[in-house]
Amino acid sequence: MKGFLSSMLPVGAPVLVKEDNIEYSFAMEYNGPPVSYDIPRAVPIDIKRIPTAAVVAPSSVSDKVSLPVVQPLLARDLLNEKLSKELIRGSDVSPTSVIAFEPPRRDGYSCRLSDELSNSGTLRFSNGHDGSCDLSEVIDDGSGASGFLNSLDERSCDCELSGGIGSSGTLGFSNSHDDSNDLSGSLGVVGSSNDCKESLDFVDDINPLDWSSIESVPCLHFLSSEISSCNGEDANDAPPCHANRTSVVTFVDIESSGTIHEEGSSDKAEVNKEKIGPITKGRKGSCYRCYKGNRFTEKEVCIVCNAKYCSNCVLRAMGSMPEGRKCVTCIGIPIDESKRGNLGKCSRMLKRLLSQLEIQQIMNAEKLSEANQLQPELIYVNGKQLCQEELVLLQSCPNPPKKLKPGRYWYDKVSGLWGKEGQKPSRIITAELKAGGPIMQNASNGNAGILINNREITKVEVRMLQMAGVQCAGKPHFWVDADGSYQEEGQKNMKGHIWDKSGTKLFCALLSLPVPCKASNTSQEDVNNLVNRVVPDYFGQRALQKLLLAGYKGSGTSTIFKQAKMLYKSIPFSEDERENIKLMIQSNVYRYLAILLEGRERFEEESLAEVTKKLTYDQSGTLGNGNESETVYSIGPRLKVFSDWLLKVMVSGNLEAIFPAATREYAPLVGELWKDAAIQATYNRRSELQMLPTIASYFLERVVEISRTDYEPSNMDILYAEGITSSNGLACMDFSFPQSAYGSNPDTADEHDPLLRYQLIRVHARSLGENCKWLEMFEDVRLVIFCVALSDYDQFCDDGNGVATNKMLASRRLFESIVTHHNFNQMDFLLILNKLDLLEQKIEQVPLTVCDWFNDFDPLISRNRSNNNSIHNNPSLAQQASYYIAVKFKRLFSSLTGRKLYVSVVNGLDPDSIDLALHYASEVLKWDDEKAYFSISEYSIYSTEASFDSP
Amino acid sequence: MQYKWGEVKVGEIHLGVQLQDVLFNHLCPPRPPAASYSTLLLASSFHFVSGYKIIVKKWNLGHNAATATVNALRERLKQKRRLLLDTDVAAQARLQGRTALSFGPTDFVCCRTLQGHTAKVYSLDWTTERNRIVSASQDGRLIVWNVLTSQKTHVIKLPCAWVRTCAFSPSGQSVACGGLDSICFIFNLNSPSDRDGNLPVSRMLSGHKGYVSSCQFVPDEDSHLITSSGDQTCVLWDVTTGQRISVFGGEFPSGHTADVLSISINGSNSKMFVSGSCDATAQLWDTRNASRAVQTYHGHAGDVNTVKFFPDGQRFGTGSDDGTCRLFDMRTGHELQVYHQQHGNNDIPLVTAIAFSISGRLLFAGYSNGDCYVWDTLVAKVVVNLGSLQNSHEGRITCCGLSADGTALCTGSWDRNLKIWAFGGHRSVV
Repeated sequence: MKGFLSSMLPVGAPVLVKEDNIEYSFAMEYNGPPVSYDIPRAVPIDIKRIPTAAVVAPSSVSDKVSLPVVQPLLARDLLNEKLSKELIRGSDVSPTSVIAFEPPRRDGYSCRLSDELSNSGTLRFSNGHDGSCDLSEVIDDGSGASGFLNSLDERSCDCELSGGIGSSGTLGFSNSHDDSNDLSGSLGVVGSSNDCKESLDFVDDINPLDWSSIESVPCLHFLSSEISSCNGEDANDAPPCHANRTSVVTFVDIESSGTIHEEGSSDKAEVNKEKIGPITKGRKGSCYRCYKGNRFTEKEVCIVCNAKYCSNCVLRAMGSMPEGRKCVTCIGIPIDESKRGNLGKCSRMLKRLLSQLEIQQIMNAEKLSEANQLQPELIYVNGKQLCQEELVLLQSCPNPPKKLKPGRYWYDKVSGLWGKEGQKPSRIITAELKAGGPIMQNASNGNAGILINNREITKVEVRMLQMAGVQCAGKPHFWVDADGSYQEEGQKNMKGHIWDKSGTKLFCALLSLPVPCKASNTSQEDVNNLVNRVVPDYFGQRALQKLLLAGYKGSGTSTIFKQAKMLYKSIPFSEDERENIKLMIQSNVYRYLAILLEGRERFEEESLAEVTKKLTYDQSGTLGNGNESETVYSIGPRLKVFSDWLLKVMVSGNLEAIFPAATREYAPLVGELWKDAAIQATYNRRSELQMLPTIASYFLERVVEISRTDYEPSNMDILYAEGITSSNGLACMDFSFPQSAYGSNPDTADEHDPLLRYQLIRVHARSLGENCKWLEMFEDVRLVIFCVALSDYDQFCDDGNGVATNKMLASRRLFESIVTHHNFNQMDFLLILNKLDLLEQKIEQVPLTVCDWFNDFDPLISRNRSNNNSIHNNPSLAQQASYYIAVKFKRLFSSLTGRKLYVSVVNGLDPDSIDLALHYASEVLKWDDEKAYFSISEYSIYSTEASFDSP
Repeated sequence: MQYKWGEVKVGEIHLGVQLQDVLFNHLCPPRPPAASYSTLLLASSFHFVSGYKIIVKKWNLGHNAATATVNALRERLKQKRRLLLDTDVAAQARLQGRTALSFGPTDFVCCRTLQGHTAKVYSLDWTTERNRIVSASQDGRLIVWNVLTSQKTHVIKLPCAWVRTCAFSPSGQSVACGGLDSICFIFNLNSPSDRDGNLPVSRMLSGHKGYVSSCQFVPDEDSHLITSSGDQTCVLWDVTTGQRISVFGGEFPSGHTADVLSISINGSNSKMFVSGSCDATAQLWDTRNASRAVQTYHGHAGDVNTVKFFPDGQRFGTGSDDGTCRLFDMRTGHELQVYHQQHGNNDIPLVTAIAFSISGRLLFAGYSNGDCYVWDTLVAKVVVNLGSLQNSHEGRITCCGLSADGTALCTGSWDRNLKIWAFGGHRSVV
């Protein structure tokens, strides 16, 4: 037994043949609250006392019960008959009962058990057909053995095999599976041996009569594993079965070849086994699920495991077909390559069963789902295994190789010649693709002695060259370009053009040699650039790195977003977007005006009150003076009407609704209003109007121009405008860094792989501020960029409870809530400190210590401020302040999470600083990927350390 | 703070406590826009211009005093409410000797698993007559399923992947969806798909200032749709024109004071709908009168994630972040029952979705830990936990819905699947 095992296992794998007393620990310790229900208890068992069961007369079973019985081998016919007879003799089990146990000690017990089992079997039968019960589903899963695969596939099949065998101690199990040629073969049984053990303990514990009432999954696993294992067991006893050993041998072969990665190998093994093993014994060509029908009944085939289902079963067996026609258990597994040609080609049976629309969706899914795509691991180009990107490149180039199948190919990068290894060229594909290794001299197994681009060509090609008028005497070495021009190796001058002669192409067709495609002469630069090309959807999703851009309102997230759009997009804003932005700017201007008008009213009231106060104070008798209601802030009646209207619209909250009609109607009025002395006077006191954003003056000063209908916002206007869309919801853009961005430094230019595409997602603070209700939707984000406006430290806002809060503190609160959000507990954060320019203007007037959080700010230069301008090395006060704030945030971050916060200080209106910050973000991601190899701080251009630690 | 809060009409007002009460009732539970709210709290003297007008002026006292007053009033209201809540449904049922329904473990079975989404499923909706479901997932796709065959009939790629909600129109001809981009998209299922096989957007409803959290077509009217949004409002839309008919809450002095998360339209009177919000309240609205909510329902201690009308249209259920479901009576405005399962103290699963059976006897509640309890609404006992059955979801349940004929329940989950549950047992009539 041991010898056999070691032959099965890869060389060097220890063969574990252990006895009892092995500790099994499958589960974690339970720390939760006490549970109210009874916990099924697993008691260690004596392996010698495991009852073993045997299958009775599968042919009779398949008629009556749709039981997941492992189909016995062809050669076992005799044996089964004998066995069933024996069983009937040995224990009083009826012939229809599915399973009989053959325990050495507990005869009566097992009989009862099997009775119970048969009962449940029939129950299942009835349910299975009306399609409302899922009990049968589970059992089917179990028996299909691929059900076990679910638990198996993450782990390596290899170690599972040995582990399973070693720990089970019942080598009969594992030995047996090789003979059962059904799907539940090796993997199923081995995988189940653990389950089996657990569930067996289960049986020990409980009253057999309760058996049917227990519906837990382990129980069912137990059932099926018992079936399969004992099936194998009896098969093992029968000498004729050994004829079918071949299947095992293949399995081991693939396993030990070791070139294919783990999962692939197990899958392949499965498929291979399937192919080799003969189809079900009793009824050749019957349905795999209901075991009815014959080879002439119409059936649908699983594109992975070749299982065939009749029209009654196909929908049940294949479920909702998320990846096309696959059994439920085969979902996610690569397809059988021989079926690739059938992808997306619907059978008549399905057409009958399903509606046109449904068929369409299934076929789409079949063609497009990722699992069904060609596996890059199976394709070798010039002796090198492809990776996913290379395959995509190969398939999406202008001239792709036709009908690519797994195999070994050679590819001449210079001329674009493509062929199977050891054969003449079959096609000319796009040249200069970065795929595969360097070409080998014997790639096409030629013997003509003539080399083209370092490949020895075949005789056929030589004839073609001769036809084309190329001098082939003296076994020259040629260098052929993609356009067909050739030169001799080591010589400079072009000798000629292969395709120039008109007859060449015709001759090539005769020799079945490839001719260049007309579309091949595209520009070579962007051949390797995935960004400009349509990449498959499934691949595009994977390659996308998502960056979440968030921040408190007014922190400039939209500015950064718009900057990024302008930086990385050839057309930053479409016509529609521009139109929207125009409307947004205009409505914003009206809003600013309304704020001004509101302020005006207040100022007017105040000054009126002052005037009356003064009047009463003066007590002078000049009562009849009509001048008292006139102040600087008063406006004319016409403007007053407009002002009232605008304020009313503002209050009702549908300012957007009046656009764009308002611009047509009120543009002249707005101009008049703006020029009015009262408004100007109010505008001069704008610092008292807290609702008025600082940016408002940029637009207000050009209000006349903006309010015209033919106004076209410039890029600068767009940048200054608040928000991105009027709804100001989520906005996202895909981009990748142009390669020339860091052209000066070849290293970094190379690092910015064009394949790496980023998606910048900007969310609006408003919805974040309340409670981060939907942050859970962003779990796949790679990096969160949190934006803080440096100039916020002396500004106040309403926190929703009517209490004015410092905006920096509000920003900090939002930061805390995002950082501590359970979705982001392993997330990298990049803090962008925005609006450095405003800080520079402000910090001289308003000390940073205005904000409570920054009360220990103690700038170094403040002591010798007089000469700080002359010393260039010393950072300015604003810079110091920004460093100080960065350190504050870093400390906060590390106290909350224990990790490091990346910080970048930018000025949102300066495109270069945004570019730099986003490059920094991409580098953070790269560090994250390379964390295993490098220590981060060494490789950073930007210091991630708190370099400006204040005392 | 210069925002002047218009003029508020209140009935007869006398100064003193009564005024405060009026003020409180009208102004405090729903939060007016930020600026006016703070002004309001800062307001000290109520200046009577006429018998019906108040102009809010600036407060002389500190606003702390005002907040304290409001909080005290709020507390008083709370106590009052607690006082009025003398009994609940379960106690009444117990008095009458009603017992909980009993179900065997095989009575509820998962009979279909709808696989096809590649990311978390966030929402689902059934058609009214045919057995179809539309589901929305974070992979940026809406899928229309035929439940009988468990096949997809439409896959709609969305302009914005972060979709929160979806709905079938009453005729089954079109679907609506909304998400973080604050726009509600309508797709006509009959329109031909474009070159890439995508269904074109037939209508865009834009106007919300926050994410669209929930949408539902008004029963029997394909042209009207109600959405709820993170901007604290609900909006009734005219789908044919794409215009807003009315806005509920928001700038008006009555409405939710936080993100509205869910709405449900009364099945028997489609003029009424109820909304649940992050402000821990549910509000009842009449679409004919957008200016203020008919009623505000307090009781929950956390965000109200989901609301659903009881089949008879006189009650509605809510599910909340505080881990409870509650049943409110529409006419009395009172809480009828709390459905709460004891858990360990620290880890209370949130209620994420609820659905009532046709009779209303069963309440299906999905929880964030993947459980899906079936409550007996009468005795407030959990009869079955669908999460502990075979083939149950592995992730948080995000949505659930009952088919129009009540024969099947569909649940959607973060594990990317939708599951159809049906009654699989035999049971005599209770």
